[in-house]
Amino acid sequence: MKGIVFNLLEEVVTIHHGADTWDSLLESAGVQGAYTCLGSYSDDEMAKLVGAASQMLEIPAADVLCWFGRESMAVLADKYPKFFQAHKSTRPFLLTLNDIIHPEVRKLYPGAEVPVFDFDSSSDAFLLMGYRSPRKLCALAHGFIEGAAGYYREKVSFEQMSCMLKGHDKCLFKIVFSAREAAQCQDLQSTVSI
Amino acid sequence: MSGPTIHSIDLEKLQRRLDRERRARVEAEKIAETGLRELYENQTKLQLLEEVAASANQATTIRESMQFAVDRICAFTGWPVGHVSLTERNGTESRILPTSIWHCDSERFKEFREATESMPFSEGTGLPGRVLSSGSVAWINDVTQDGNFPRWRSARQVGLRAAFGFPVLTGSEVVGVLEFFSELASEPDDALLRLMSQVGTQLGRVVERVRAEEKLLHDAFHDSLTALPNRALFMDRLQRAVSRAKRHREYVFALLFIDIDRFKIVNDSLGHQAGDTLIIEVARRLLDCLRRDEVTIQASKVNGRPRPAGDDTLARLGGDEFTILLDDIRAPSDGVRVAERIQQALAAPFRLNEQEVFVTASIGITDSSISYNSAGDALRDADTAMYRAKAQGKARCEVFDHGMHEMAVNRLKLESDLRRALEREEFRVYYQPVISLKDGRIAGFEALVRWQRPDVGLVLPGEFISVAEETGMILFIGNWVLRKACQQVHQWHIERPQARLLTISVNISARQFMQDDLVAQVRKVLLETKIEPSALKLEITETVTMGDAARTIKIVTELKKLGVRLSIDDFGTGYSSLSYLRRFPMDTLKIDRSFIHNLDVNSENREIVKTIMALARNLGMDVVAEGTETLGEINHLKELECEFGQGFFFSTPVDSNAALTLLREREPQPEVLIG
Repeated sequence: MKGIVFNLLEEVVTIHHGADTWDSLLESAGVQGAYTCLGSYSDDEMAKLVGAASQMLEIPAADVLCWFGRESMAVLADKYPKFFQAHKSTRPFLLTLNDIIHPEVRKLYPGAEVPVFDFDSSSDAFLLMGYRSPRKLCALAHGFIEGAAGYYREKVSFEQMSCMLKGHDKCLFKIVFSAREAAQCQDLQSTVSI
Repeated sequence: MSGPTIHSIDLEKLQRRLDRERRARVEAEKIAETGLRELYENQTKLQLLEEVAASANQATTIRESMQFAVDRICAFTGWPVGHVSLTERNGTESRILPTSIWHCDSERFKEFREATESMPFSEGTGLPGRVLSSGSVAWINDVTQDGNFPRWRSARQVGLRAAFGFPVLTGSEVVGVLEFFSELASEPDDALLRLMSQVGTQLGRVVERVRAEEKLLHDAFHDSLTALPNRALFMDRLQRAVSRAKRHREYVFALLFIDIDRFKIVNDSLGHQAGDTLIIEVARRLLDCLRRDEVTIQASKVNGRPRPAGDDTLARLGGDEFTILLDDIRAPSDGVRVAERIQQALAAPFRLNEQEVFVTASIGITDSSISYNSAGDALRDADTAMYRAKAQGKARCEVFDHGMHEMAVNRLKLESDLRRALEREEFRVYYQPVISLKDGRIAGFEALVRWQRPDVGLVLPGEFISVAEETGMILFIGNWVLRKACQQVHQWHIERPQARLLTISVNISARQFMQDDLVAQVRKVLLETKIEPSALKLEITETVTMGDAARTIKIVTELKKLGVRLSIDDFGTGYSSLSYLRRFPMDTLKIDRSFIHNLDVNSENREIVKTIMALARNLGMDVVAEGTETLGEINHLKELECEFGQGFFFSTPVDSNAALTLLREREPQPEVLIG
């Protein structure tokens, strides 16, 4: 896993819960903790961090990932505004994910393993979005989508129709957009701030 | 005491230190990221250029390399639509025509594709027109908001926004335009445009190469002067027509072989430049004649050059020879109609070097009603018919028939047999005595060539001399006869030392006379055969002397210096003026047989011979009467005091043995024979 994801996690945890929380998370996860966005680190370290957070909060790991995804979108929008500004709503933004993420990641890390999204945009009412990644982080993807909707001030209703974690060959989301901001996954802010 | 304070100060310090470290790390990461990104981007750009260049080097067609480039650039930019259009040049005007070379999802962008393919762009119009007129890249942030983008409606329909285009350049000429479209509006990307400019240059190399190849190919099959198909291309087309005629009964073609009459004269008198101009002008008129029907078919123009309508082919085989293949005609007679049209078209004068030149052509025609097996046979027959037209007086058309073919075959066989005749020593020299009319004794002989042709027998010169003249073999034959005759007569001189010096007359043909080394050749024969030079009489026809007078005088004078004597042969047939004759130092005048014939009954001939005799005497020349056949003729000649006679009355030409016998018979009792 790329260092940038660890940096993002550090950033959203620090923003929402302070630097001390990040420190204790590192400690309880038992990971090395020094991450640079230029490096690559074991997937295992991310799993340990998510696991530690899940234990601390007594909520499922998937919810931690979803929250992380959602919150990191604001940070990314801050860092890479041009990718967001090119669109006026969530749907066209999502449609370009492969085109943005893949080339950009590969620019920095030749040969990086990237998630592959596929789309069925034949219906105007909803978007069918497939996710395939050996890391099976569909919850993180879910969070990213909601975070993006948050950026565009839209409301999304989200239905996961299949999941790699349940043995399907890909995760499939059915997404319906409407024009009001709302957070769908559990608000962790209060819970984590022990 | 003050521990906590000190601690808190240290903590703040450490905090700031940590912050600095963090900021330094983030900045370092940013710098590294930027560097890596640039490196990557440059690498992919280089890779793109390399791939386009490699494809440009390998591609055999323009289409192939354009398709590769358009696909590759779409992959590189992630833009979904790319299209190639090509420049069409018409004089000074240029416009851009769409091609079917695309990179796009044809379903999704159907309307845009259709809109693009339905319109040409003039200079300055739309994206391709802008690139064409500027010769450089162009970028449109959003085509749906652009004032100069005629396809905006269909672009909006399929959701295309930003666009850029770049020229394919050979030198400064825009030969094509590549344009690309994105679904997102965006600001110009200068780095990308610079890269695309380079891609355009690479693609230009392909166009240049393909054009050079096409030109090479074109040159290999076309005549450089007229740009018409050459022999190779014509034979290929003719072969196809021949093969097709063999398969399909209803298919008819006609073949015309056209040769400009007296073209050499134009070339020699007005110069090669004028000759070339004439050929070009003739080619143009011939092309005009290829329009099939009286209903004028507009000759389509390609690259400013006129082209024949339909599948007819006009070719220049070389020199002043043109051929026409009339393909898939209704009837063989169409060939004759076109030939007549050609004669009419050539009738109007040509202006060359401010001079009016009139030109005619001899045209030979053949057609598929003769079942040909090969293009070569068909061309040969058309050529044969053309020769026939020429022989029949030029400015005519002749349709080939089998009789012509037989004649042509016979002629060809004669020619090859004639070539072998020299090697196989099939020529013979025959001798016809020249009689002194005063005493009836043999004054000398005229050497005459005969050909002992296997399976045929003895052949007279009339049957082969013209071919020998045309092929140039006359030079070898003439020289051989000269040598042989001199040898023989020298032999007789040695065998009969007391007798009068026999003369030997040998004909020198026009072509022999034109040789630069004629005098040297004669000198050599004199030396080698050891004949007494004054015994040799070279006979030149009156017409030969009428050519270049200065040259004739020079050669005649040089020959005289060798000691040989000279006769004017067939005198009276060449219409030379009598005063003209005075300029040449000739020894003997031979009166043509036509004046001798019926001399005793034809008073007109008698007057002519009388005049010639008077003239000869004035000029100090001997006179030989040719073709003497009757005693009456002989008696009249004697009355007119003609010195010598030659003809059947005395003897036909005979071989050397018979000639020797004649010599012996005639020596003792000349008066018996003469009476």
